[in-house]
Amino acid sequence: MVEALAVASGKGGVGKTTSTLALGMALADEYDVTVVDADTGMANLCFHTGLADADTTLQDLLLADSNAAVEDAVYDRFGLSLVPCGTSLAAFRDADPTRLRAVVAELAADTDVLLLDSAAALGSQSAVLPLVLADRTVVVLQPTIPSLSDGLKVQEYARSYGTETAGVLFNRVQDDAAIDRVAEQAERYFGGPTLATIPESDAARAARRAGEPLLAYAPDTAAAAAYRRAADRLDLQDGDEDAVADRFRSAVIPEPP
Amino acid sequence: MTGPGAAELEIPRGRLVRSRVGVASAFEAAFSRELTGYARIEPDSLLADGEPGVVTFAEGVPRAAYCERAAGRGERRVDSHEPGSGDQPIKSDSRGVDALATLAGPGPCSVELYELPADALAAVHDAPEFSVPPGAPAEQLADDPALADRARERAPDDAHDGDASALESFLEDEERIAAIQQEARAEAEQRAAEWGLDGELE
Repeated sequence: MVEALAVASGKGGVGKTTSTLALGMALADEYDVTVVDADTGMANLCFHTGLADADTTLQDLLLADSNAAVEDAVYDRFGLSLVPCGTSLAAFRDADPTRLRAVVAELAADTDVLLLDSAAALGSQSAVLPLVLADRTVVVLQPTIPSLSDGLKVQEYARSYGTETAGVLFNRVQDDAAIDRVAEQAERYFGGPTLATIPESDAARAARRAGEPLLAYAPDTAAAAAYRRAADRLDLQDGDEDAVADRFRSAVIPEPP
Repeated sequence: MTGPGAAELEIPRGRLVRSRVGVASAFEAAFSRELTGYARIEPDSLLADGEPGVVTFAEGVPRAAYCERAAGRGERRVDSHEPGSGDQPIKSDSRGVDALATLAGPGPCSVELYELPADALAAVHDAPEFSVPPGAPAEQLADDPALADRARERAPDDAHDGDASALESFLEDEERIAAIQQEARAEAEQRAAEWGLDGELE
């Protein structure tokens, strides 16, 4: 079985990559999980996982004249299969974002859960493609009006491609008293449940500096526990892995912009 | 409008000290120059009806907020209020955290900063209905949590710490959220065509 989930936010700074990796590690207790840094314009999964010097990354796979194999860009770390994205501006410029389809199709054939760490802003074809390719989205929010506004916007973008919301994560929560009311109100507007509210955590920043996912660096923190609850609440849907791979392959492949 | 807000918010016109586009840079400037006065905020977004609001400051720390528009455009009972009518207040404006919710959201704003003597703001700063938590404007309007933290640190101990939040007020405004969703859907469909993804729209 496989389900491809885009982890999206609509704005930066909400802890999207931290959340993607934390959900991935929590889900990895039960499933084979592959995490792809699909935020090709502002890749940072590599910095969260000690893969900043990785030889082959998603960027190489997206080059039209690439002869790299998908498996060359997959790194087994922290119980996950990780596909980092490089940070070369030249490679970003030359990348053909539509090749992400074929990469995702190949990865989908060989995993249970595919998490696509998606771009924060929705300003380009490559930023939107993960929302198009995924089965569902997980929307990461901070409890502020700008974040909620942008999260609603991401949800509408995804829905316009038939990609529904699997759930919402409230991250970097400081006001414990108010968040339950806010989460309850927000559920009226989002397609999925509130998976968890994650407290603001110095450990998340320290983990990033150490180049490790939060659940590896500080597994006993309240934030780590909250991510595990979120993974438990994420009601993964069985999919036929061949059908998913076919869907990616057979999708209309547009011309690059 | 002769002053920064309606008649119920009695603030004299101050001395213009900075005219900027963008809430974040205006709030940062107000904080760093320890402004006592107000920011006049005029949303440029189509969603916002173009009606202005005001955030007041004491030594750079936000204290009060007012917007001439009520949250939930459809709920507004009249188009303009008549100060001094003596009847129940007419909900054609929003105050305190409700005003922040009305002003927040997508779209750029034009902001001007005005300076005033502290005593000119005393009445407004003493009125709980206009009061806002010191970090809320930076967080909710400027999307700048670091500035919000600095404002909280500089705020006096007796600063607003009420339960009501601008975010809850925002989430109660179903009409406004429906407008955000409709605008996003239209934008998504338009961009899909630009990016050659329109064949995959549902």
